[in-house]
Amino acid sequence: MGAQFASYYEKVGSEFGIKGRMKLALLTAIPSSSASTEDDSPANIQKFEQAVAQIRKTGAS
Amino acid sequence: MKISTKLALFYVSVLAVFCLLSFGLTAVLRSVTAGYGALLNSPVRQIDEARVVQVDFKKQVQEWKDILLRGHNPDDLIIYTKQFHTQEDRVRMGAQALYAQVQDAETRELLGQFIAAHAELGQKYEQAYQAYVAGNADFKAADKIVRGRDRPPTDLFDTVVQRLDTLVGQSVRAQEQSARNARNAAFGIAGGLLALMGVIGFLLVRDIVHRLSRLKAVSDRLALADISGLTIDVTGRDEIAEFGNSMKGVHAAIQELLHLSSTESTVKV
Repeated sequence: MGAQFASYYEKVGSEFGIKGRMKLALLTAIPSSSASTEDDSPANIQKFEQAVAQIRKTGAS
Repeated sequence: MKISTKLALFYVSVLAVFCLLSFGLTAVLRSVTAGYGALLNSPVRQIDEARVVQVDFKKQVQEWKDILLRGHNPDDLIIYTKQFHTQEDRVRMGAQALYAQVQDAETRELLGQFIAAHAELGQKYEQAYQAYVAGNADFKAADKIVRGRDRPPTDLFDTVVQRLDTLVGQSVRAQEQSARNARNAAFGIAGGLLALMGVIGFLLVRDIVHRLSRLKAVSDRLALADISGLTIDVTGRDEIAEFGNSMKGVHAAIQELLHLSSTESTVKV
């Protein structure tokens, strides 16, 4: 459950650092600390995918 | 539904209610005016005309007495005879016109009796007049023929006027009751609609204020980074829900920051 959300945080963290992780939390409203307990529903996965795409497009700042 | 949509709908509803009330009150006003117009055009006008006939009949009898008193003078005889016939014609035409207008069966019957009695009285007056002229202003002989004959038609017409007066009173009372009913209905409907709009407006505002106050409490805690045990419960699909979702993002970002800082501290230790 939600294990793959942690991988999104890892990816964004490696690419954009702390700012990237914070922006991912801001956009998804799911922090990494609770990512493992969140339901990996298609809606949540889409939310993370879109957030990652946006961060990559606009940067973390 | 969005708050802006709710408020727009509420505004349109208030406008619609006021438009409906305006139309309704105008219709009630027209109905009351039409009712009083009908009252003035029918029973009130009829009783006015009846009183004119009543006065004309009394004038006709007066003219007859003038003939008897002053008809010895040929000039006066001509004048009073002419005036007598003028009044007689006015009474007959007035009574017939009234008979044609009146719809109340009892009044029509009384008027019919009066018209017949008046015609019969006219014949008696003619006989008396002939006797008066033939007797060289013999008023005693003439009066003997018609004496007391004008009483029954007079009483009949007084009854007609009383009957019409009663009908006018009934019509006025019915119209007043109708106007009161219309006024009460208008007040009831207007009051009900305004109360309904008031309740809807109150519930709408209370809902918005209540949800905003909850979000403000969340915002206050986020401003102090006091997120321990903080949960943001977002319901609905309106602007407040969107605001709540933004708050959730901020909450998550603060949680992430605190998580990272605690992880970093642990690594350093």
